[in-house]
Amino acid sequence: MTFAGIKIKRNIKLQAFVVFIVLLFLFKIFSPSSDSFPLNILNEILVIASTIFLILYFIDLLKTKRINPLSLVMNVGIVSAIIFFLISFSNTIINGLFSNVNERVNNPDLVFGIITFIYALIILAALSYIFLAFKEFFYLNKKQNANTYFNTMVVFIILSAFTAFLKNNHDLSFIKNTFFIVSVLLIIINSLKISWIAFVVKREKLIILFLSIVIAILFAVNLINNSDKEIHHQILMQFSPALNQFFSIIMIYGITYFTILFFTTLFHMPTAEAFDRKAQEVSSFQYFSKLIIQVLDFSELTETITDIGMKVCEAHAAWIVLTEDDNMKIIANKNIGYVSAEKLTDEIFEKNIEKYDKTFILKLERFQGAMQPNDNYSYAAVSPLKAYNTLRGYLVVVKKENFIFDEEDKNAINTFSDYASVAMENSRLLEESIEKERLEKELDVAREIQRKIIPAENPEFDKLEISSAFIPAFEVGGDYYDYFDIGPNKLAFVIADVSGKGISAAFIMAEIKGIFESLTKTIDSPREILIKANQILQRTLDRKSFVSAAYGIIDFEEEKLKLARAGHCPILLLRNGLAENLRPSGLGLGLDFGSRFAETLDEVVLNLQENDTIVLYTDGISEAKNSKDEDFGDFQFQKILLENTNKSADDITNSVLKEISLFSSNNHQHDDITLVILKWKPKIKKDGEEEWQNLTPLLKNKAK
Amino acid sequence: MAEFNTSVKEQGEISKIYLKGYLDAHTAPSLENTFSSLIDNKRYKIVVNFQDLAYISSAGLGVFMAFIEKVRDNNGDIKLTSMTDKVFNIFDLLGFPLLYEIFNSEEEAVNKFIETKNVENK
Repeated sequence: MTFAGIKIKRNIKLQAFVVFIVLLFLFKIFSPSSDSFPLNILNEILVIASTIFLILYFIDLLKTKRINPLSLVMNVGIVSAIIFFLISFSNTIINGLFSNVNERVNNPDLVFGIITFIYALIILAALSYIFLAFKEFFYLNKKQNANTYFNTMVVFIILSAFTAFLKNNHDLSFIKNTFFIVSVLLIIINSLKISWIAFVVKREKLIILFLSIVIAILFAVNLINNSDKEIHHQILMQFSPALNQFFSIIMIYGITYFTILFFTTLFHMPTAEAFDRKAQEVSSFQYFSKLIIQVLDFSELTETITDIGMKVCEAHAAWIVLTEDDNMKIIANKNIGYVSAEKLTDEIFEKNIEKYDKTFILKLERFQGAMQPNDNYSYAAVSPLKAYNTLRGYLVVVKKENFIFDEEDKNAINTFSDYASVAMENSRLLEESIEKERLEKELDVAREIQRKIIPAENPEFDKLEISSAFIPAFEVGGDYYDYFDIGPNKLAFVIADVSGKGISAAFIMAEIKGIFESLTKTIDSPREILIKANQILQRTLDRKSFVSAAYGIIDFEEEKLKLARAGHCPILLLRNGLAENLRPSGLGLGLDFGSRFAETLDEVVLNLQENDTIVLYTDGISEAKNSKDEDFGDFQFQKILLENTNKSADDITNSVLKEISLFSSNNHQHDDITLVILKWKPKIKKDGEEEWQNLTPLLKNKAK
Repeated sequence: MAEFNTSVKEQGEISKIYLKGYLDAHTAPSLENTFSSLIDNKRYKIVVNFQDLAYISSAGLGVFMAFIEKVRDNNGDIKLTSMTDKVFNIFDLLGFPLLYEIFNSEEEAVNKFIETKNVENK
């Protein structure tokens, strides 16, 4: 609706203009030129009215466009040049077309009338446009409503134009002269309001300086050419004295305005650069706030930093050097190739880095001429990026040949790098906390996997007490133990420790469980099972991962323990108040995939005696640390075991756990702690054959 | 945070890595970098001195496994020396003495490299 509304409104102004022009044309054709007072007034009213509507129409046309002062100056220059050419050629052309021009002007025929009418219309349009341009200049960078002066001026210009038909020798000519003089005075006052020039950048000021003097001269020439003898003047006077007056006023306005513009610009030139910088600084501070909201993306942030870093000191290229573990990493290079930035960085930091804890300027010499022409930089400003007194890196900005960094550049980049440091640090901290949260989630998953892999309960047997304890470390150490049901009268067990921590260890654990679950069903020898497991692991284990494991089978009927150890902690046998390390030779799973693993792997067979206690554990026990960072140690561990050797398996486990927790109460647990105790408690044989039947392992747990 | 650092000394063809502090899952990447840069520079005769190493975890042991193959493929070796009893015990349990040459002193390890070279030359 609004769009349609505007359209109609425009049309009304244009239509009014067209109506008045048509009326004026008809008036010109049918009314002979005369000195009749009312006719003169009617003529002037038509001319002024059409001019006003044309200007109003132009205002509507220009309303939507953003005004750029430089292009406005150029447009005025072009229009004034057009007027200049019209005046210059009006003589030649019209004299060439018509003979006896001076006569015809005062007494025109139809053709001559039409041509002069069109000529006057073009001048009218040009003047209207220039007037409008002055209005735009006046309102440029005006904050408060200062239209009183301008409106007063408009009124006096209209009055001055309207009274122009009063001849110089007329009694009332003083009225015309008064209005004219007041108009000119107001023009001078309004021309002084020229503050917009300060906000133009230096390069544009130079152009305006040149243009303004040319345009001022053009206006002066146009005014001089509008003398009595010129055809142009005669045509205008014949058409309407008001238009002629308007012409003179606009020309005077042009001369005044552009002369003042010239001198103002001239006086602004020395400070232009400083002003540019101040303006830049102001906009830089706007950028700073941009830095704050960009902390979510580190690389985007650094891009912005180099971008603004260049702007604050008018440099030609910039990049950031991150210092991590004495390595220098170049990021966010702007306007410069990575290789060039690297070369220049080497030159800048080839001397001692330590001294660069303040912003400094450095002359670049080494690669002068050696680089690509585009990369011929002569000076670098280097500003440290610090956070909490820790150096994180440097912001480097460089300028090309013939440009230098002055003290203000240095201050600007220094201030800016402080802001940039804070923004970068915030971004880093945010990233760190996100990463930490991610790791914690990952560890939750790893602990969950581990919890599901490890048996929830121990199986129960008549001849064997089993007790176990498992305390996971926060980071998931990769401990694993398990029991397998491998047929009547037998129990297989395994204890393992996967290298590394966290989710990767948890996955390997899961894989190991799968391997043992399947192998125990078909192979009866601990040694063979470990050899086979090692072969299977070759397919998936990476080179730096390995698994220590011990695998044993207890035969309830033969009362024997078969045991093989692949790099695991020794298995302890408590017998008759002594602790014995069962430590058959064997490499950790995954350490060797050739024949050596099998060659070096031994299997021991042990005849079980009553009250034999077999202790399986991982290094989490012997390496548990106290507040002084001392190990719990094997000796202490064995001592506690022996002290409690006559107790039940559960009681022994509890005693060990109690001692460990007492020992390491003030320190956090680094590794998983796993302890499995198997105590051989055969029933006395006198119960006879029947008793043997009942000794079949009851893997109640497995049935669940 | 447990402290760990490495330093490297060159002796002719042989590079000697000195370990200090606690080598665990968190500090292992630092030793990995040391090995990587030696291998990048085609220095395959490596002696690792454990004199000042207080502790090594399974992840620390993994570092040696990660590089041994590459080093031996290039006619080099990683020889381990000067371990404290505690550290040696960890290596020993896993069977590392079957895979690596472990010496009491750095000198012995260096001499072994030189001997091997002399034998090859004859």
